[in-house]
Amino acid sequence: MNPIELDVRNLKITFSTPQGNLTAVNDLSFQLYKGETLALVGESGCGKTVSALSILRLLPEPPAKITNGEIIYSGKNLLTMAPNQLRKIRGEEIAMIFQDPMTSLNPVLTIGEQLSETLLQHKNLNKKEALLQSVQLLGKVELASPEEKLKQYPHQFSGGMRQRVMIAMALACEPKILIADEPTTALDVLIQAQILELLEHLKKESGMSMLLITHDFGVVTEVAERVMVMYAGDEVETGPTNSLLSNPNHPYTKGLISSRPQLGKTRNKDHRLIEIPGNVPHLNQRPSGCTFHPRCNWVMDHCKTQKPHSKNLENNLKFSCHLDPGSL
Amino acid sequence: MTSETSFLKVRDLKKYFSSKETFPAKIPNLVRAVDGISFTLHDGESLGLVGESGSGKSTAARTVLMLETPTSGLVHFKGQNLADLPEPQLRNLRKEMQMIFQDPFSSINPRRKIGEVLQEPFKIHDYKGNTTETISELLNQVGLSPNYANRYPHEMSGGQLQRVGIARAIALNPSLVVADEPVSALDVSVQAQVINLMMDLKEKLEISYLFISHDMGVVEYFCDRVAVMYLGKIVEIASSDEIYKQPGHPYTEALLNSAPGLNIERKKNSAKAHGDIPDPSNPPRGCSFHTRCPIAEKQCKEMEPELKEVGAEHFVACHLK
Repeated sequence: MNPIELDVRNLKITFSTPQGNLTAVNDLSFQLYKGETLALVGESGCGKTVSALSILRLLPEPPAKITNGEIIYSGKNLLTMAPNQLRKIRGEEIAMIFQDPMTSLNPVLTIGEQLSETLLQHKNLNKKEALLQSVQLLGKVELASPEEKLKQYPHQFSGGMRQRVMIAMALACEPKILIADEPTTALDVLIQAQILELLEHLKKESGMSMLLITHDFGVVTEVAERVMVMYAGDEVETGPTNSLLSNPNHPYTKGLISSRPQLGKTRNKDHRLIEIPGNVPHLNQRPSGCTFHPRCNWVMDHCKTQKPHSKNLENNLKFSCHLDPGSL
Repeated sequence: MTSETSFLKVRDLKKYFSSKETFPAKIPNLVRAVDGISFTLHDGESLGLVGESGSGKSTAARTVLMLETPTSGLVHFKGQNLADLPEPQLRNLRKEMQMIFQDPFSSINPRRKIGEVLQEPFKIHDYKGNTTETISELLNQVGLSPNYANRYPHEMSGGQLQRVGIARAIALNPSLVVADEPVSALDVSVQAQVINLMMDLKEKLEISYLFISHDMGVVEYFCDRVAVMYLGKIVEIASSDEIYKQPGHPYTEALLNSAPGLNIERKKNSAKAHGDIPDPSNPPRGCSFHTRCPIAEKQCKEMEPELKEVGAEHFVACHLK
């Protein structure tokens, strides 16, 4: 396997609220290998975005607080790094694209100004050179007539085009790691397919690693080599995409996969979609034992009191459930 | 009058909006949001309307319900043309046709308790009787406990609140429910809950659905027939099975191929549509899809294709089929 690019160890994040300190991410550890795409999957409220934001220290602190853990990037712990050092890594070595391209671009600045801002910040360029490089970047994300686009404003762009601009901004300094937080959720299917293809292509070209956050297993199959499923702040299952999809070991993973209607599966009238009953628990109502037990169809007595340990299987598979592997 | 064929019949329905550009110049601009669509919804059937944002699905649905006044065309519901109906009669008929909206947090009044929200349909239609009991029953029907009536919308999750939206729609026993992207704002796992609920209600209450979505997977699963819309026109209409197995229009094919799926066998080598949907106020000449079509030929740029029957109950508007 490739060398580790990013190593997250025992990360714990809490939020201080009037109801006390609530744990959003609970003892999370994962590794991102060089050149791979790792997908973080789970419903809203499972801690995916919070974990990703903490890597670049973008969480509002307070109320958020990283109470434990290390995030190691090229030998250094990002969590203890001085702000000015961190600023060099943000955007230059680790970049991020956000879910909603409508709100993450500045509406009163031209595309050119916004793109060259990143370049001016991190590279030793003058304005002219920065604009020249911006043109190349827009060409790289396959936008037509890039020179003209530089002078335009975000409102003149469609959602897909804006997301391309966001990608161009993220890739401006050729980062080693790209964090993509639901990059296609706000887009139409046709545009989603185009953006995923573009990301895949750019990733191959530059050899960067990608941490992709999504709630859609369909998107996962398109781009990710490995998947980590999160539930209520815990890692519940991790493994290579193919084996995880065909043989999920955790009931939550299985639920997420089978609750999505699949194209072309012959539908008979009495076949219902398999649903996961209930909702993700609120942070202040975290269930005892296995946090998933109130929604689990395979729940046993000891699930309610004992938190399952993480089990390692061959082939880099890992899951936390009291059930034996292969029993679903 | 509720013979099978005459439940809901839409013929050549058009809805144009005029948008005045205030800057730089005042040029009246005609947006053909819905440009002559025809379809029939049979009793007890679910018809899906799919397409990208900007293809006119929502406007089509709202115009069918007379929430927008149609520019021209016929909407026959149970034998009456809604477009000609005077307001009081139309209002009476609205009991029969209800709507579920995409985002429950913006379609349900945040300042009212759920019980009050659900009372509204009864008030509007002068229902006399014990509404509290009816509301408890309604909440039960959508899988919520009756004490949710005392909650405010912000105390509920998106999935729960969408159930309230559904309860409000079925309150007056409608025979037609128009659902505009009812699950797109929800998490995948909750989507399944809501889709199952809507399926159950269909059986129990004999509802016909006009179901709008951009997700081919959901539509294929939920609907008996599917109509694909592009820039205000229906480009293909067929049964769900047909559409999936033998898509006739390149746009339908592109939608199917781009759906991120767990079944990869039909992808990869297949052609995809390129670019964005064109501006509806200035649609391309000829076949409106030709700018993005992977197989477009010369005639596509000049002539607009007609909707032709290519198989049993399967219509496609494409020159090359």
